[in-house]
Amino acid sequence: MANSVEEIQKSKKTYMLVFGLLLIGTVATVLVATVEALDIGEHGFDKWDAILGLIIATTKASLVGLIFMHLNHEKKAIYWIFIGALLLCASMFAILFLAKYSPIFDNFFYL
Amino acid sequence: MEIPYIVNARKDTGLFNAKIAIWLFLASEVMLFGGFFSAYVFLRLGADYPWPERTLPVLPGLINTFVLIGSSVTVVFAWAALKLRNWRQFQIYMWITILCALLFMVLKGVEYNVKFHHQAVRLDDYSVVEGHLAYYDGTHIEKNRINIQLTEGSTIVYNNLRFHAKWVEEILAEAKAAGATLKLAADVKGAEGYSDEKETYFKAGAPLTVELLEKIAKAQISARNHNQTLRSKALADAWEIAKPKHPGQSDWEYSDKVSIDEKAIKPKLLTDILGATFKVDKSFEVSFKPRDVKEGAEQSKLRDDTVINGTLLPSPMEFHYMDAIDFQYLVMKAEKKGIKPEVAIANSWLMQNDPFVREIWAWHEAEITKLRQRLKDDYKLDEKGEPNRVPTHKEMYRIGWKEFAKYGEEKHKIDLSGTDKLKEEFMGPNYNARNPDEKEATSHNSNEEASHGHDSHAPLTFPHLSIPREQIGFASKFAPAWNTYYAIYFTITGLHGLHVVGGAIVLAYYLFFGRRMYDENPEWLCNRVEVGGLFWHFVDLVWIFVFPILYLM
Repeated sequence: MANSVEEIQKSKKTYMLVFGLLLIGTVATVLVATVEALDIGEHGFDKWDAILGLIIATTKASLVGLIFMHLNHEKKAIYWIFIGALLLCASMFAILFLAKYSPIFDNFFYL
Repeated sequence: MEIPYIVNARKDTGLFNAKIAIWLFLASEVMLFGGFFSAYVFLRLGADYPWPERTLPVLPGLINTFVLIGSSVTVVFAWAALKLRNWRQFQIYMWITILCALLFMVLKGVEYNVKFHHQAVRLDDYSVVEGHLAYYDGTHIEKNRINIQLTEGSTIVYNNLRFHAKWVEEILAEAKAAGATLKLAADVKGAEGYSDEKETYFKAGAPLTVELLEKIAKAQISARNHNQTLRSKALADAWEIAKPKHPGQSDWEYSDKVSIDEKAIKPKLLTDILGATFKVDKSFEVSFKPRDVKEGAEQSKLRDDTVINGTLLPSPMEFHYMDAIDFQYLVMKAEKKGIKPEVAIANSWLMQNDPFVREIWAWHEAEITKLRQRLKDDYKLDEKGEPNRVPTHKEMYRIGWKEFAKYGEEKHKIDLSGTDKLKEEFMGPNYNARNPDEKEATSHNSNEEASHGHDSHAPLTFPHLSIPREQIGFASKFAPAWNTYYAIYFTITGLHGLHVVGGAIVLAYYLFFGRRMYDENPEWLCNRVEVGGLFWHFVDLVWIFVFPILYLM
């Protein structure tokens, strides 16, 4: 945890850098979804757009978590709480594997 | 009493207590939103209708993303300013944060408002029409009501217990305007009070009033109570008599031999009121909102169980502006039945009955042909000779308001200023500017003209459309009722919006009431702002997922 004046001044620069990265990430999300030349996979929305969009979103979310929420240097207790929540969350998505169709491997997303 | 560990770290956790607390709370929030996102995936995979992908306005969503990310930065700067003991700077950053929250909610409010005023209809053949119902007539009205004709001899049957007073008054007002009266068709027998065994009569010919219906309902409740008390007492008496006759036996062994003496009790019972029938003596019309009535050709039923025996009149849903035609659902149904999409579309009610739909559809098909060719030229064919890229289902089978606007621009040379076009990105189509010569007042006054408003001389980008009631399969505003997509959209964004409001309130509290704590124990306030900031970052983090998933996928 930053406590001295110098450390805080230094971390302010990091915050501005992350701010810039987040803005770039946001613009990138919109561009890959709206500009035809940047559209990956088939024309229009398909699973590859979903995967790319979620990768960008996850990267942005990680930046917020790590830098703004100080998860890059936190105490152990917090990591345990956070990892526990993520695991439970992942288990909710894991129920998807019990579904009749797979969102990734079946071509079911359009229609 | 001193609160422990507000500034100093606890030895076992290495943290001040509030931080552990907020992280436990955020952990539960992660699971809450995670649950909703997994619900979204399930709904999307299980949808039995074409999922409305990329349907929300991107620009407001994008601005909201910038706003939230910006406020995330300012809140962490506010915390840093406190750490450096700079109150003035803290105030500035916190103010920006709160104004960002406000701006976010305003944009969200505009987005919701547009949806709540935009109508969608699914016809019986599964084609979907979207548009705007409101006509301007001094005040805005919607021509979307169920009209029922009552003639001499028609009846309205009220339920014995419940009725909605407002509807009774509406019917009475219509009757009065036409000089008609509603009178009780036959005597209704009923008790007046709980212990009163005498029966009073509501005489045939009594005029319909709310008070009369109240009295009848009360009489029915009294009769029911009276009869129930009598029966309970008779059954208790029967047991009293039966018990000594079966000594040493358990109750259940002879319970089949215990019963009420129906013959003895019958004369004492009060009459059950089955309902009250009122007869009409002169023709008049009544009309109700579609959601309040289940209509039928000769008999309709209101939501309060009142049965109206009258003839259904034409009750079309009048679109003042039609702004989208969507055949995706129709095509999906047709393909399941093995019918060719073109055939299904050509046979749809819209194509058969509306010249404008045929006209814009022909234009749209030409556009799609051009698009198909361009995609082929730009992205070539694969090794099997199939084109690498083809138009999507949505492009092929939906004409959205932007296509309507483009068609209007091409055909009528309607030109909108840049500001007007920018406004459309937030507020939806600008009906007035794109239907320039249309006079609001006349379109309402001359009904005929309005419903047959496809006048080729008037440059209407968004024409009128009148849909007969019997063609309507399901109709709703763009509210959660319309489909599961809007249901989950409102759930997730609404819950997220509540988080924005809640977070802003807490941060505003630090800003406006934090000075005393800052003077007494600045590190304590600093920790509070850090904890409030953690929540704020989380709100931002959720939006980072909400935006691409709901707006761009």
